[in-house]
Formats: sequence, structure tokens, C-alpha cells
Amino acid sequence: MFAYIVRRLALMLVTLIGISIIIFVLLRVVPGNIVDILFDAAGFVDPTDKANLEKELGLDLPIWQQYLNWIGGLLRGDLGYSYVSEKPALDEILPRIPITARLAALALLFSASIGIPLGVISAVHQGSKLDYTLRLVSLSGLSLPSFWLGLLILMASVSLFGAMPIYNPNPKTWTEAFAIYAVPAMAVGFRSAALTMRITRSSMLEILRQDYIRTARAKGASESSVNYRHALKNAILPVITVIGIEAAFLIGGLIVTETVFNIPGVARFLVEALRWRDYPIVQNLVMLIAVVVVVANFTVDMLYAAIDPRIRYGD
Amino acid sequence: MRSVHALAAAALLLLPAYDLASAAEPKQGGILRMYHRDSPGSASIHEGATYSVNIPFMPVFNNLVIFKQDVAQNSVESIVPDLAESWAWSADNKKLTFKLRQGVKWHDGKPFTSADVKCTFDMLMGKSQQKFRQNPRKSWYDQVSDVTVNGNFEASFELKRPQPALLSLLASGYTPVYPCHVSPGDMRTKPVGTGPFKFVEFKANESIKLTKNTDYWKKGLPHLDGIEFTIITNRSTAILGFVSDKFDMTFPTEVSIPLLKEVKTQAPKAVCVVEPINVATNIIVNSSSPPFDNLDIRRALALSLDRKAFIQIMFEGQADIGGTMLPAPGGLWAMPKEMLESIPGYGPDINANRDEARKLMQKAGYGPDKRLAVKVATRNIPIYRDPAVILIDQLKSIYIDGELDVVDTAQWFPKVARKDYTLGLNLTGNAVDDPDQSFYENYSCGSERNYTNYCNREIEKLFDQQSAETDKEKRKKLVWEIDKKLQEDVARPIIFHGRSGTCWHPYVKGVTIMVNSSYNGYRYEDVWMDK
Amino acid sequence: MGTKSLATINFDSELRRAGAYSTHGWRRLLFLAQRYVLGTIGLLIMVMFVWMAISADLICRYDPLSVDSAQRLAGPSAAHWMGTDSFGRDVWSRIVHGARISLAVGIGATVLGSSLGVLVGLASGYLSGWVDLVFQRITDILQALPLLVLALVMTAALGPSLPNVIIAIAIPLIPTVARVIRANTLALRELPFVEAAKSIGMSETRIAFRHVLPNTLAPLIVLATAQLGSTILTEASLSFLGLGIPEPHPSWGRMLSESAAEYVRTAPWLVIFPGVAISLAVFGTNLFGDALRGILDPRQRG
Repeated sequence: MFAYIVRRLALMLVTLIGISIIIFVLLRVVPGNIVDILFDAAGFVDPTDKANLEKELGLDLPIWQQYLNWIGGLLRGDLGYSYVSEKPALDEILPRIPITARLAALALLFSASIGIPLGVISAVHQGSKLDYTLRLVSLSGLSLPSFWLGLLILMASVSLFGAMPIYNPNPKTWTEAFAIYAVPAMAVGFRSAALTMRITRSSMLEILRQDYIRTARAKGASESSVNYRHALKNAILPVITVIGIEAAFLIGGLIVTETVFNIPGVARFLVEALRWRDYPIVQNLVMLIAVVVVVANFTVDMLYAAIDPRIRYGD
Repeated sequence: MRSVHALAAAALLLLPAYDLASAAEPKQGGILRMYHRDSPGSASIHEGATYSVNIPFMPVFNNLVIFKQDVAQNSVESIVPDLAESWAWSADNKKLTFKLRQGVKWHDGKPFTSADVKCTFDMLMGKSQQKFRQNPRKSWYDQVSDVTVNGNFEASFELKRPQPALLSLLASGYTPVYPCHVSPGDMRTKPVGTGPFKFVEFKANESIKLTKNTDYWKKGLPHLDGIEFTIITNRSTAILGFVSDKFDMTFPTEVSIPLLKEVKTQAPKAVCVVEPINVATNIIVNSSSPPFDNLDIRRALALSLDRKAFIQIMFEGQADIGGTMLPAPGGLWAMPKEMLESIPGYGPDINANRDEARKLMQKAGYGPDKRLAVKVATRNIPIYRDPAVILIDQLKSIYIDGELDVVDTAQWFPKVARKDYTLGLNLTGNAVDDPDQSFYENYSCGSERNYTNYCNREIEKLFDQQSAETDKEKRKKLVWEIDKKLQEDVARPIIFHGRSGTCWHPYVKGVTIMVNSSYNGYRYEDVWMDK
Repeated sequence: MGTKSLATINFDSELRRAGAYSTHGWRRLLFLAQRYVLGTIGLLIMVMFVWMAISADLICRYDPLSVDSAQRLAGPSAAHWMGTDSFGRDVWSRIVHGARISLAVGIGATVLGSSLGVLVGLASGYLSGWVDLVFQRITDILQALPLLVLALVMTAALGPSLPNVIIAIAIPLIPTVARVIRANTLALRELPFVEAAKSIGMSETRIAFRHVLPNTLAPLIVLATAQLGSTILTEASLSFLGLGIPEPHPSWGRMLSESAAEYVRTAPWLVIFPGVAISLAVFGTNLFGDALRGILDPRQRG
């Protein structure tokens, strides 16, 4: 087990280094950098001004040196400075993390509290009209673009209530706080709820077909006791796995949702920073996302091993 | 000595009287909440070339002189003293001297002196040790040989030749006075000014906050306690925020005509105005390589345009047709209608124009069976893309098949500078409604922003002639003649001059939207809220 | 899918009677259509969109790019039954032509991503050793970023154009396919017929492509169908964020994004129809993919 963990950690490191290289190169093969964008707004380029600015930002160095500077800084906890705001990248990124984290947590909560019960109901009533309907709903959840859903929600809330949630860092009332976070969380969580439901359903069905469930039934355990005590307990494990991994991948949905609802979280920040070619922000944000994903994967695997005695890594 | 002495006292007396309709005493206090259309690249007005920087940061500063904030049409007559108490031209019109106000303090408490004026303009002319990261309006001061000071409260601009327009340039929102003791880098992140509002914070992509300067040198101003901008890039989200009372005012001149309708239905009480923004949508033509090196084809292009259709589609009719200079009534320099309509392509009979255009195309060897394929390059933002889509559709009528070539913002200028385009659709904003600003920048040989490299020495002589002309009427006639020639040469066909809307709730008082510039009217010291 | 009979154990003979194993093509198809009603609906939706894309020029009365200032923002009518946009362009024509873009990106990215994934997976599983090690690390790296994030950074880097968007969406698809193919290949490698092929002197590449690959097709098809939906969604999201297919191509995502949002109340058809088109297309592929998984991947049955 210990050897396995060490191996996993080493591989995680390799992955992260790989990502850092890919992102770094990808951003720098693009024609046009922040300097071009700044000067584009001005309508012309004075070659000396441009060269000066490139030098100031370190963009004139060979690419490998720029890369080493960045990684060296990362190791010292120095993320560099945003080209646009000229503030430390860390100061720009850190305050935005809790906003996105809150949204993601709420979305997951929503997804689990809707997806798991409906998935169980669907499986228990397999083949019924209810099952059919629920499955159609979950499929449609996977098919609706979340930005469209967000737009529809905003449209509806303005025509119904004459108001809409606009982000405010210090909501005054509970209802305001709810509107600011819960509504976008639902817009983005709808998709993961659908996913959770599907996984729960198929996982439940798998378990319900197992011998020990049949044994329990044969021994005269009540239907609900079989479904909820025996089956659900065992079916929940893969569901947790999926939710865990989904947590990291929610960021994709959050990018569009934060844009539609104008929430200043990290996800939308990535798009804005890309638009400005603000490399220090983009590369650090991408690394942050990668770290979250890799750590989430690792944690889920470890949890899996801890919970399920059948799994032994490294044997 | 011919001098224009403007009395500061008189101007100050006039200020509170702007809102005669309400005739109410301005109420003090309140924070004006606005949205901002995007996150500006920095807080430094001198380094910016978009009003995304002017609007939030103009309230932090003062100029030497300023276009009077409650007069909608900027002109030499509407220029009033600001940090300068008065100004005077020398007899030969080659020296402009400012008497400066005493006792003015920067927001950090340091006194304002003539040294600050010299620092600012030396930096703009590229003469100082400290440099701006970028200096987009350096060419405004091409005729200035030196800025000199006489004591702490007098500064003079020495000119190479007379240039009456200089005063207008100094009155633009683009020309605040910066403090000597703050570095350009700090000015980009935490600007220090002498203006009615102090900078509090600028969170990129999130918000910009300003607070009242209680120590402002104009006693009793500003009325507001502060101004807060929430940055919302999605226009419809922003408008929804305005109609649901999250904001007191929209971002100025940023409400499109369709969105205006949305506002009208949902917030019927809101006050909305639609004004010209002095931004000309034009076609840049690469006349140095085929096929547009052929004047016939360029003329056919000019003849093919149905300007009314552009305006109908993009502005539901609410925009203006003109030459280089902004059309009347907003603009001061536009040629009379009859003169404009005598220019090929401006005539009202589109079908006749296009018949003529087709004949020119046939003369050049094209026709229904031999169509000309060209790429139309433009930037990947709607205000560029939309007219390009219409242009391509209209070119079909003269045997030209256009293909849209959408260019990323970061690559647009380098591409244009390389002349790597055949046709391009471009927007040209004019900060000041003055021919000096637009002619030199866009049409003079060797100017950085003369994207088409159009170069005509004859016309260039006329540029200088009008610039030095001190008789306004004579200058106007010259400008008309130049503008007409530029259009006839198809140097850079102007399609239309756009307009845009601004809305505020009725309790917001004292907002004036300028009609011939979208860069100069955002000091906000006399805005107040009746609630 | 509606699996009452499948859930019980002895159904083989019943199925045989119903035509499940019929060699007669039509009978089997009919059986499958009855068994998998939803899947059939999904297939029909997909066929409809494909047909729209192929015969777009025949279906539409209007050029999707043709501007008409007299017909701006006209509501749905007999002449323009989905209305017109702010340029006076026919929305129906744009939706139909938009199907080309969506399918071109969806199918293009899925095929490209899957093919690359197959190559990586086959090489990884069949050659093993350091090739496997390297490819595994590459898939690790690609998997550590969400699809939209990677696609976003890649389109920003490559620039907005049809081929670039296809590439940007295809690359993130590689790892999933590669993983599945690799696992299958590892299992198949040990099977007797591969051993046999080796013993008669077939080359490794030939074995990989002639014997191993065909046997991994079923899971591959299941996976590809599932991915088709998410590629269409990703393209729509990219276009919505302004980084997808540029004008003048009528892409559903961009139809929704900019100008459309300005007309939410004055011309709701501009927001509704493109959104419905995206959702319906993805819904169709999801329905079909689900059924396909039920047919081809018995372990997932239920």
C-alpha cells in the first residue's frame, strides 16, 4: 500500500510537470501577446515602446528561461505578477477561489441531494413509467447547454420577479445570498444531478442483481429493507467516486455559468485572462485546476481503498 | 495680444444652474452605481486608448482646461478653465500660456504646481526619463516644441507653428494632469489626481470604486459620496441589472438600440438618450496591391455601399452618414448635405450607383461570370463583425464575393500593419471633434495610424493649411474641401458614424452626454441623486 | 431499456423467437426498434440532423448569410417560420446550416479524437514497455484538465477557425478512448487467436489492426456516441464564450451568445430556437448512445 501511494504521488508530480510544460508552450506559440493587445487598443505600435514593454515583462527571454523562471517562482510560492493589473498573481487568484468553491460545493450538494434519491427510485421501479420519465429527465439534463439554462433562468426571473440575482460580495439578506449562489449553482448542478442519477441507477441495478441481495430477499427481508439497507449501502461507493471526480470537472460548467451570472470567480477569470493573454494568470490558474483534479482523483482512489475491503492496491 | 480670458468665477457660478428643468437644489450624498462594460487594461488614462479607461478614471483628475461638462457639444467656445485659471495665446499664435490655480492639492496631500504640468506633457512628448508603457496620443503634441514654466503657477506651450486646435486637445478627457511624484506604474494601478473623486480600488473583472474628495478645490463639489462600477461584460446581464435597479445608470454610450427597447419596456421611467459617439465605421482598402490598386475597382466599391441599409440594420435608422468628420448636428466640421451627396456613392439612388459600379467592374474585367473573390478582414468583436457581414452581402451586387476573415484582437493590428489584407473593416474613434486630430492621424503620409498608407502630398499641404488657419469659417471651408477629396480618392471609405444610448433612472440628475465625442464628459462632479 | 424480460434470467429462447438473433436484417432491425423505442427516437433525431446538414441547400429557401434590412427581427411567419435575426437573415436557414457546423465539429472531433485515441491505446496496450509508459503519462496529463478548459486554452492558442476548433475539442477526447482500447487490447493479447496469428508469422502491426482492433470496436462505438453529444455541447460553449467558430458560419452556440441575448424580450425566437436545436441534437445522440450501449455492451445492460 505504501509503495503504491509513493508511486501514485510520483506519477502525480510527472503529470503536473507535463501540464506545466504543455500550457507554457501552448500559450507562447500563439502569435500575439499582451503587448500586442495593449498596443492594439492604441491603434499603432511604436517598436521601441513595444520592445521596452516586452523586456519589462520578461517576454524577450528565450522560452526555456521564461519557463524556468516561472517554475522557480512557483517553488518559492511566487506566482509572478499579473500583466494587466500588475498585482501579484496570487493576490488576484486567491480571493476568487472561495467564490467558485462555494458555487461548486452548492452545485454538488444539489446534484447529490437530487440525483441520488431519484437514481434509487428509478432503479427500484425499473421499467416502470416513473423510471422512464426520470431517465428522460436525466438525459435531458445532460443535453441542455448550461449557459442556455442560465439565460432562461435569468429571463424568467426578470419577467416573474422583475429582478435578477447580481453578484454582490456582501449579501445583506439570506434571500439575497441564496439568489446569488444557489441559482447559478442549480444551473450548473442540473447537469451533474443528471449524471449522478444515472450512475446511482446503474450502480443500484448492478447491486440488486447480486447474489447476496437475492439471498436477503429469499430470507424474507422486506422490499424496502433490501433496497435501502443492503443495496443502497453498497451502490453508493461508485456514486461517491463519480461525485468526487465530477467536483473537479465542474469547473468547465462554472466557466459559462459564472459568465452568464457575472460572478467574479476563478472560472470566469480564466476566460478573461485568456482574452488579455495574461500569461501569469492563465498558467497559474490552469495549474490550480490540474492540481485540484489530480488531488481529487487521488483522494477518491484512496477513499475507495479505505472503504471497500475488496480493493487492495499494490498487491 | 489677442487673448481669450475666461473667468473661473463666472464658470463656477454657472455650474449649479445646469439642471433648470428640475430647478431643485442638488442633494448631497449617495453612491452612484454604474456597470462597466469591460475590465480596463489599466487605470492610467494617458496610456489608454479606449473610453473604458476614461469613464471610471476621469473623475479622479483635472485638466488644464476642460470642455464644459454640461454643454453637450464640445467646441472651442465650450472650453472652460480647470487647473488653469486662464489662458492666453501670444501675438504670433505660437505660444499658449496658462495661469495656474493656487492651493490645489493632490489626493495624497502634496501641492499641485507648474512642475506637474511640465512633467505630464514632457512624458507625453517622450522627453522625460520616466516613460509610459504606451503613449497612444504622442502625435497630438507634434507641433509642441517645448513646455516651459515660469514660477510655480505658470506654464507655457511653445509651438513650432500656430495650431489653434491644441487647446481643444488639452480640454479632452484624455488629457488629465498627472502628478510628478507618482510613477507611471503607480498611476496604472492606484492613480492619484486632484479631481473630485479619489481612487479607492480597482479589482480587475470585478469592480472599480471611487470616493468623494472632501478636500476638492471646487467648494461644495462633488455632490456624490462616491461612484462604484461593477464590471459586467455580458451586455444583456448588465441591462437586466439596470432595469432591476441594481444600477443607477448604465455605462455611458454603451446601450445598443435593441437593448434600449428592452430598457423602455422594463423600466419605462428611465431617462435614455441616443447620441453620436464620434466613431466612424470605415473600410480600409489595400491600394498597394491588386485588385484594389485599380482606382476603378476602388470607386466601384465606394459606389456599391447602401449606407442607409447599414444604419437600418445596426441602429434601426439612428446613425449618421457623412465623410471623415462627424456629421451635423452633433459634429462641427461636417460638409453641407448637398456637397456630401455630390460625392460618388453618397447619392440617394442606390440602384443607379450600383449600375455605375458594375460598369466600372466590367471595365476592370469582372462580371456575373467572372466574380472577384476577396477576403474581408476584421476584428473578432461584434461592432466590427456586424458591419462586415453587411458589407459582404452588399458587395455581392457588384460581382465581388467577400469572405469574412475574422482576426483575433491580438493579431489584428500586426496584420493590418503588415498590410496582410485586401479589404478590412475598421472603426476609428475621434476623441476630439477637430480636423487636426483625425486628418493627421488617419491620412497623413507616415502616420502610425494611417493603416492604408494613403499618401497624397497635395492634400497633406491642405492639412497644414487648415491647421494653422485661425479664422474658423475659413478653416471650415478648407476642411470640407479636404474631406470631399479624401472620399473621392476612396482613401478609406466611411460607411457611417455610429450612435449609442445611455440610460439613467430619473432620480439621477446632472448627467450630460456629449454629442460629438464619447471621451470627454465624465467628470461627474456635478452629478447628484434626488432620493 | 424497458428491460422487464431481460432482467429475468431465461430469456434466450424467447428472444430468439422474437427475432433478436435473426440473420434477416430487417427483422432484426424491427426487433431492435421495438425493444429500444427511445434509442430509435434518438436515431431518428440524429438522422434528421444529418439529413438537414447534407441537404441544407435544398431545404432552405434563403441563403443563411443573406442580409435583408427590410425583414429585420420578423417574428415567425409563413415566409420565415423561425423568424429572422437582427440582420434580416432567416433563422431556420441558419439553424439548418448550423447543423453542418455542429455535426462537422461533433463528428470531426469525435472521429479525430477517437482515431488518435485508438492509435495511442493500441500502441500502448500492444507494444507495452516504454511506449506504454510514455503514452500513459500523456493520457494522464490530458485527463487532468476538464474538457472545456483544455479546449478553451487550445482554441485561444490556435485561433478561431473550423479546423482549429475540431482539433481543440478532439485532443481532450484522446485519453478516454485510449484507456478503453488499451484495456481491451491487453485482454485480447492473451487470447488464443492472437497467439495463433503470431505463430503463423503475422507482423505485429498487422495483428493489431486486423485482429485486435475489430474486437475493440463495440466499446469504441459506444464511447464515441457518448462523446458526440459532449463535443457538440463543447463547441456551443466555446462559441458562446466567443472562442468558437467565427462568423459568417452560422453556429448554434454563437447564434445564442451575443446579439441574440440583446433580443431576449423583443425577439425571443432568437434565443429559443438555437437553444432547442443544440439540446435536441445532443438529446438525440444521448438517447441513441444509451440504447447502443445496451445492445453492444451487455455488462451495462439494465
